Amino acid sequence: MAGGGDFAPTGGRAKKGKKRKPTKRLGIRIDMTPMVDIAFLLLTFFMLTTVFRAPQTMELNMPPSEVTVEIAESNLMTLRILDDGTMFWNIGIEIPERVEMKDLRKLLIERNKQNPKLVTLVKVDRKGKYYQMVDILDELQLANVGRFSLAPLTDVDKKEVAKAI
Amino acid sequence: MKKPHKKRVPIRIDMTPMVDVAFLLLTFFMLTTQFKPPEEVDVILPDSNSVIKLPERDVITLTISKTGEVFMGVDSQFLRASLFGDENKLRMAVQLDMPTLTSKLIEARTRNAKLRTVLKCDKDAEYGVVMDVMDILLKTNISRFNLVTNLETS
Repeated sequence: MAGGGDFAPTGGRAKKGKKRKPTKRLGIRIDMTPMVDIAFLLLTFFMLTTVFRAPQTMELNMPPSEVTVEIAESNLMTLRILDDGTMFWNIGIEIPERVEMKDLRKLLIERNKQNPKLVTLVKVDRKGKYYQMVDILDELQLANVGRFSLAPLTDVDKKEVAKAI
Repeated sequence: MKKPHKKRVPIRIDMTPMVDVAFLLLTFFMLTTQFKPPEEVDVILPDSNSVIKLPERDVITLTISKTGEVFMGVDSQFLRASLFGDENKLRMAVQLDMPTLTSKLIEARTRNAKLRTVLKCDKDAEYGVVMDVMDILLKTNISRFNLVTNLETS
């Protein structure tokens, strides 16, 4: 860095005389190399360990369990997810139809445009995977559907779905 | 003919600006770094497009592992000690069964009403367990909670 120079006097020492001559300043050189080395070491350490990305969250608002809301069947869209991940949708008492995850958003947007009062009910099987639910909630959010609810998948639902297969 | 030996000129580069920048970066990284607390369980989070940030303080974290074990943790060490006993105060989360979870949730919220609940579940966890935990949350009047997810990269 600043060379290997340490204390390097630049001028001669002033002779002691009767008249005081202004003493010449010593140019002090401190070897900064070790300090800078440590600084770089710490810098690399902090750069490598820093994680900027804070985890993201999804906010869920669930109605308290004692509150019941009545909706007309024609306004109710049911999404059922079986344990193997297949997804079926229907409105009211229609026969369920199969839908793929990638087509879900389009379907949701379409249906909600047709009927703005539509409420989506998401039923995921107990044996299903958690990420399936998160995926659906994500799609609902991306489709700007705020009116949805979660419910357990019962045997009645499984019979419903069996009609489609 | 021999070339006359050239005298090497010692090269001196002024490193001061570089070192200045290095120190600036160093202080920046030192001040912004937050060390990740050691986790009691490893969970692989599911991906979503949600961009709401996880609150930094006053959170109850309910972790559900891949095998369906439920862990509960709070961020303040003091509250942890009073909830789970002194021997568990350094652990980030404590494994609980469902009935204890209910009482601990109520206890935690009576001690600190500002606590928010986040669910941190493994993406391959069985949905049934998650549903049971959500039912408990509803029963203890926590109707608003967050699900921790990773930002989808695609």
